[in-house]
Amino acid sequence: MSLEFVFDLLLALAIIWSAWRSLSASRLDLAIVMFIVFGLLMALAWARLSASDIGLAEAAIGAGLTGALLLDAYGALKRREA
Amino acid sequence: MIEILSTALLIVGAFFYFAGTLGLLRFPDVYSRLHALAKADNLGLGCVLIGLALQAENVAVALKLLLIWPLALAASAGVSYAIARRADSLGIAPWRKEKQ
Amino acid sequence: MTGFELPIALFLLCNLIVALLAAARGPTAADRMLMALLFGSTGTGVLVLLAHGGGGQVLVDVALLLALLAAIGGIAFARRAWQRGGDD
Repeated sequence: MSLEFVFDLLLALAIIWSAWRSLSASRLDLAIVMFIVFGLLMALAWARLSASDIGLAEAAIGAGLTGALLLDAYGALKRREA
Repeated sequence: MIEILSTALLIVGAFFYFAGTLGLLRFPDVYSRLHALAKADNLGLGCVLIGLALQAENVAVALKLLLIWPLALAASAGVSYAIARRADSLGIAPWRKEKQ
Repeated sequence: MTGFELPIALFLLCNLIVALLAAARGPTAADRMLMALLFGSTGTGVLVLLAHGGGGQVLVDVALLLALLAAIGGIAFARRAWQRGGDD
């Protein structure tokens, strides 16, 4: 087993685990954080697949903008409840 | 010589990342966890970047690597300030050692 | 490259996975957000190491973007999302 293989295996397991946690979390804020983590790990995976342009888009849109928008929407929901 | 120095810097950077993760998991309140996170950001990333810039084949590549560091410093300082200020305005008291 | 980049990137990834497993059940909302910020900075380090370990210089651009946008998430959390009346 080469180091690359171990790296890719751990990365894939972490991606699957964070995706599952993001879907099955009962708390909304935990789901959002897990979605951000999923986006960051996905960017790493695209980098490993040497598709760095998709990695660039994933880091910008998936982890950055969507995460910030989801957090903002969560804050608006909380403010409406209160 | 440069290779030994660069490898040593990479290992020091990995150690700071490890210490930051450990602190994030073990420290008692938000303020001290922010401190641990900022250490991983600044020192860990800084050592890794300097170590890699020493090995870069030309100056442009090295400068681009070193450009990431001030950006990360400014970003982590801003985020730490915003989160600590928000925690303070939410009334979270800093952790204190309990008197015996 | 000296062959040291990939072992150190692997070590950082193990670090991240430990943080993911331990902090997913973290006590407060702020802890979970701090874990996401740690993912941003460690991910930057891993990407730079991968770029030097044979991934090509384009990955440095991805690292730059990751360092910038992780901060935007943190600011959005502090200014907009973190309200009183959570579990903390």
